[in-house]
Amino acid sequence: MLKGKVSLDVNSLDNFEYDMSKCIKCKGCYWVDHIYMPGMDFSTRCPSATRYLFDSYGAYGKMRIGIAMLEGRMEYTDELLKTLYACPLCGACDVGCKRNLDLEIELSLEALRIKAVKDGKGPMPAHKRVAKKIIEKHNRFGSPHPNRNKWLTKDIKVAAKADVLYFVGCSAAYVNPEIARATAKILNAAGTPFMLMPDEWCCGNMLYSVGMIDEARELAKRNIEAVRKTGAKTLLLSCAEGYRMWKVDYPKMLNISTDDLGFKVVHLTELVDELIKQEALKLTRPVELRLTYHDSCSLSRLSEPWNPWKGERGEWGMVSPRLDRRRGSGGVYQQPRDILNAIPGVELVEMKRMKENAFCCGAGRGTQEAFPDFAAWAAEQRLFEAKAVGAEAVVATCPWCKDNFAKVARQNGGELKIYDISELILASIEA
Amino acid sequence: MAISKEAYRVLEAIVGEEYISSDPVVCEGYRAGPGGYECGLGYERVMTKLPACVIMPLTTEEVQKIVRVCNRYKIPYAPFSTGWYGARTHCHVDDELLIDLKRMNYCEIDERHLYAVVESGVIYSQLQEEAMKRGCYIIVGGGGSQCSAIANMLGDGWSPLSYRIGLPHRRILGTELILPDGELVRLGSLALQDDPFWGEGLGPDLRGLLRGFTGHRGFLGIVTRMAIKLLPFQPERLEPSGISPHTSLQLPPNRVKWINFTMPSKESMKQAMFEMARAEIGAGCTKVPIFWRAIAKASCKEEFWDIWSKESEETISSFHLLRVLLVGFGSEEQMEYEERVLNDIITEIGGQARRTRPSDESWFKNADSAGMWLMCGSYVSVDYVIETLEHAIPHGENYAKLKPKYTPPLMPDYGDPGWFQSFELGHQGYSEFLVYWDPDVNTDGVDFFYLETSKENIRKRFYTSLLGSHQPLYLTGPAYGPNYHKWLLAVKDEFDPNFICHPPVPLNHDTFVERAPWMRPMKDWKSPKLP
Repeated sequence: MLKGKVSLDVNSLDNFEYDMSKCIKCKGCYWVDHIYMPGMDFSTRCPSATRYLFDSYGAYGKMRIGIAMLEGRMEYTDELLKTLYACPLCGACDVGCKRNLDLEIELSLEALRIKAVKDGKGPMPAHKRVAKKIIEKHNRFGSPHPNRNKWLTKDIKVAAKADVLYFVGCSAAYVNPEIARATAKILNAAGTPFMLMPDEWCCGNMLYSVGMIDEARELAKRNIEAVRKTGAKTLLLSCAEGYRMWKVDYPKMLNISTDDLGFKVVHLTELVDELIKQEALKLTRPVELRLTYHDSCSLSRLSEPWNPWKGERGEWGMVSPRLDRRRGSGGVYQQPRDILNAIPGVELVEMKRMKENAFCCGAGRGTQEAFPDFAAWAAEQRLFEAKAVGAEAVVATCPWCKDNFAKVARQNGGELKIYDISELILASIEA
Repeated sequence: MAISKEAYRVLEAIVGEEYISSDPVVCEGYRAGPGGYECGLGYERVMTKLPACVIMPLTTEEVQKIVRVCNRYKIPYAPFSTGWYGARTHCHVDDELLIDLKRMNYCEIDERHLYAVVESGVIYSQLQEEAMKRGCYIIVGGGGSQCSAIANMLGDGWSPLSYRIGLPHRRILGTELILPDGELVRLGSLALQDDPFWGEGLGPDLRGLLRGFTGHRGFLGIVTRMAIKLLPFQPERLEPSGISPHTSLQLPPNRVKWINFTMPSKESMKQAMFEMARAEIGAGCTKVPIFWRAIAKASCKEEFWDIWSKESEETISSFHLLRVLLVGFGSEEQMEYEERVLNDIITEIGGQARRTRPSDESWFKNADSAGMWLMCGSYVSVDYVIETLEHAIPHGENYAKLKPKYTPPLMPDYGDPGWFQSFELGHQGYSEFLVYWDPDVNTDGVDFFYLETSKENIRKRFYTSLLGSHQPLYLTGPAYGPNYHKWLLAVKDEFDPNFICHPPVPLNHDTFVERAPWMRPMKDWKSPKLP
């Protein structure tokens, strides 16, 4: 819709016709913000266009392809599906564009995938296999549902009732138990009681990310209701992907505000940062490491709260009522850095691309499942960048990032160590 | 696929299958519009085409081979670096090959002799950062940080920092040019030896093939490599700060400083520019158009219009803001001296310094051109003058008088006469007239205005940069040459006998007027039947 009624509803690509048609091909979505441009090396922030090179893989190409899809000029082919899905939806394009303009690039990309699914052409076969596992086994790995709490060890105290509910997520529950355990032990050490979901299911991140919005919405309703029933005031996550899902995509799918969820969605780094500043948690044990911090996309530029909006677009493209656009500036950037700097012995060095300019690890939003080579390539790029600043270790705040990095690091000889931030926090508080 | 299978296989053999595609999805990604520079207008709708095929060479040798294949198979082609310049840099005819040069991203800096050798895929912000790491700087032209340094050096290439040096042609040194028939020409000292230090070489200066005031957007071949002169800067780092969208460079206060001055009149701004030049002070200067200020203040499009709608003809005509950049290139004392001299000049003329942030958001690394689309979703610089200040300033005023007839669809700007500045320490005057419109209404009026400006130039004898490259050649050529159109076409015929290098440039705007039915009533000049 170029003029007239419009909303941020991703179910209809029509809502983003204006945004797609006003892409000016400046490629601010592709290059690192000029202010932070590091020079010839590490100068791009879009993994997809950096890997596949043709303009069709950058947001500037996809916006044009989106218009062609909207106008019925584009047939579904393997190349079209690859163009839509060989992309981690990392939001780098969105913040790059919104430095100057008011265009909803990330939402357009999401709406394109939803349209592909509604047209019966998406998602990719690998996504469908994972979706089946989520729907049947309530986790993305297809593991037995009763194994979900196997990560719990006897030394971890879980309250029957508490203000804080730790939503573990599939990754930490099944394949990264070290993150779940570290998170729980940190909470125990800080004296912050927490409970678990009586019957935790997958958050549905993959379903939403690949465009299966109907299935994702059903899961969202179920999960939100389950949390509300517990009476929790705070939902805590140690997974950045899950954090974004609960904080942004659930409200988006249900057409409510993040504030309307009825509980606060908090990432471990936000909570720990607060605990440290309140002196409720002390990081005393040295961790001698020169490390670099990787901004997980879903904790940083993609994590600003959601508010539904609908209105009219009129003259000069202005909208009414006023729309407070999510530009990525309110993401969680500083807290993880403050935590790492608070750990004795840690020497934090920044990579050339950091915060809103960070280069995605390439794992998320269905990329690793459908395009594993691309995901590995993206991780390799990032690890190369980490090595270039002399880091011994890379720290992330998301199991998706950790796993993707770890796999590639192992293949490359294991020179770089990969940690989730929870592991380092725990290492600094454990006697 | 209109390019024959045989030709495709030959092209594929040059670059490898990963770097060539005729897939409709890939080609759609190279559509010029509907958004972008000059896009959404008749020219983009009528004149641009999707490429039939896209190819991405890695080396000068590969470009040369591709161009030779194009000549052998009579495949029209368009060189393409970033596509940022909009409609005129995209394919214009059916069955055309788009040569995307982004893989050519070599950059080497000779610190001792102060130049950089770059390929077509290198953008300004990369080059600027590499230069600054070495105590040098370049001018990031109005196209902004994300445009190809070579493309911008060939096309336009100036900004308020051009105050000291002017047109970029002086900074083009040794250059590699693939002529339209595939012959490799080395310009400047590269013609003699593997040393690009000199722009001039033996015999005539062949840089005239590349550009005059402006370039012709790739109609005389493809520049694959260029040595660009770097300028010595001051030693302290400009520190990046902030989170997008509020990012800026923090300026070292004793070495780099922007100062805004409120001036009593337009005449006084001009006088200040002359006096600064006479005193040989300053690193940059410009008149600030009021809408730039409104864009900088606004957090979103709607807020811009809140601010803008409070303006009037009176506020616009009485708004005289002069922005001056001081750099202590040699020492802190130099900047102190220049600031004292500047303040004396401004005080004498009746201006007043305003509080100015000690940061730079725009000019060192960006030119913030993308922000121009915030207001309306559309933008083009309809013309620029590079002459004297006496000539440049009235030119903008003249366009401002012409504009109301075409408003709307042009954005109401209360008679803003564009912006102006001095180049080359006052020896050149520059003005630029920018237009904006609502791209989602009938935009024929913008097409009319664009053409009408060239007629107005002819009537009033304004000599402007885009008369040759962006207007009908058979309209402007006889009026200004009286035969430069004949010379330009003769040069084109000589170098591009198959007429396959970015056709139909330089007859593109002539072709547009012929093809767009709504433009025909404006055609009151003679031209032969176009190819």
